Amino acid sequence: MSHDDLRELSGVYALGALEGQDRVRFESHLASCAECAAEVRALRAVGHGLAPIVEQQDPPPALRDRVMARAGASAAEDAVPRRGPAMPRWLAAAAALAAVSIGLYAATLRVRIQTLEIELSDLRTRAVALERDLERVRREADTARGAAFVLAAHDVLRIDLAGQPPAPSATGRVFWSPSRGLVFSAADLPAVPPGRVYQLWVLRGPTDPPVSAGLVHSEPSGTGILSTGPLTIPGATGLAVSLEPEGGVPAPTGDIYLVGRI
Amino acid sequence: VPADAARGDDPAVIARLAAGETAAMGEIYDRHARAVYSLACRILSDRLEAEDVVQDVFAQAWRQAGRYDPARGAVSTWLLVMTRARAIDRLRARRGRPPAGPDLSELDRAVEAPGQEAGAIAAEQVGRLRLAMQALPDGQRTAIELAYYEGLSQSEIATRLAEPLGTIKTRIRTGLLRLRALLTRQEPA
Repeated sequence: MSHDDLRELSGVYALGALEGQDRVRFESHLASCAECAAEVRALRAVGHGLAPIVEQQDPPPALRDRVMARAGASAAEDAVPRRGPAMPRWLAAAAALAAVSIGLYAATLRVRIQTLEIELSDLRTRAVALERDLERVRREADTARGAAFVLAAHDVLRIDLAGQPPAPSATGRVFWSPSRGLVFSAADLPAVPPGRVYQLWVLRGPTDPPVSAGLVHSEPSGTGILSTGPLTIPGATGLAVSLEPEGGVPAPTGDIYLVGRI
Repeated sequence: VPADAARGDDPAVIARLAAGETAAMGEIYDRHARAVYSLACRILSDRLEAEDVVQDVFAQAWRQAGRYDPARGAVSTWLLVMTRARAIDRLRARRGRPPAGPDLSELDRAVEAPGQEAGAIAAEQVGRLRLAMQALPDGQRTAIELAYYEGLSQSEIATRLAEPLGTIKTRIRTGLLRLRALLTRQEPA
């Protein structure tokens, strides 16, 4: 609610006709808005004026006696234990002090809320980072599980790949089970330039075009891994890794980095 | 009817009341019983219940005399705020609503709030305010009366008058501001 919306409530509040959430909201606004607080005081004074303007009538004379009798009875009752005014001066002072303290407390709370908001924002940032880490770990675990599954297959083949002119010292190894999948791992590959990716190809004779086995997830340290599901390619003769535009391509276009024969 | 001048020493009488002087009760009663009774009659429309309220209010004044602080408002305002609270409590009980509704804590605070502008309005202002109320547009006057004399909440008023809540808020505020402007403008120099 804006200040103007809240200010509309000053009249109903001054007459005690505001309740529920609106009332809570308005009271917290009053704590910080001198303008509205002044208006409420002024309108409340008008409200007090409504009491004496009603049609005046005399109470029955006997009522005075009843009131006096009750006061007398209270006086007698209070005569022994009465300890002066119901609220001693020091207590009134303490109450006034408490009111001030509540104001200070509200200010403290506001600062505290700001601090908590900043902390919350930090925590949110950390949570996002953790989520990212978790996703990576999960991916690595999947890869490892997939690799173990492939390595245990009865039809698994091992193919070593050798570095080519762009990266003579790079090495790669593939374990390929047509029934369970393919696992590729490389070392000493040059870091991938921005906007590029290593792609693994299955080579088939001289007349058939290579088939993509997937994109290699590579680390700046030069290692790269790729794990696929079941992959059956009849007439496969070898494997090769080339550097391609990000997202991969349907047929190899870039330099060849690794090659191995089956 | 006591003259305004007699009310000037109201606080002193309340102080005597606080000290346990029963005679002080007679003085306070003679000065204010009529206003207390009249307000209770207006709110409750029942003389017998209004008499009960008068007894309750003066008993409360006796008990709480020590809490009365002249800096916070006139004795008449103090008594009439208590009167309204007690009468509306009874009205709510009659309607089957819990007695301690939101307005009543509000009323308690009205008595306690320091710095409130709760001086008793002068006798001639009573007449002016009465006329000003009559001169308000019906919608504004009715909404104010339902809030003040019947202790209805804004949503109850909206239901009673079959008007949107926003209209009620605005009418009450506009009406009170108009009454205030009128009182301030005609304040004697």
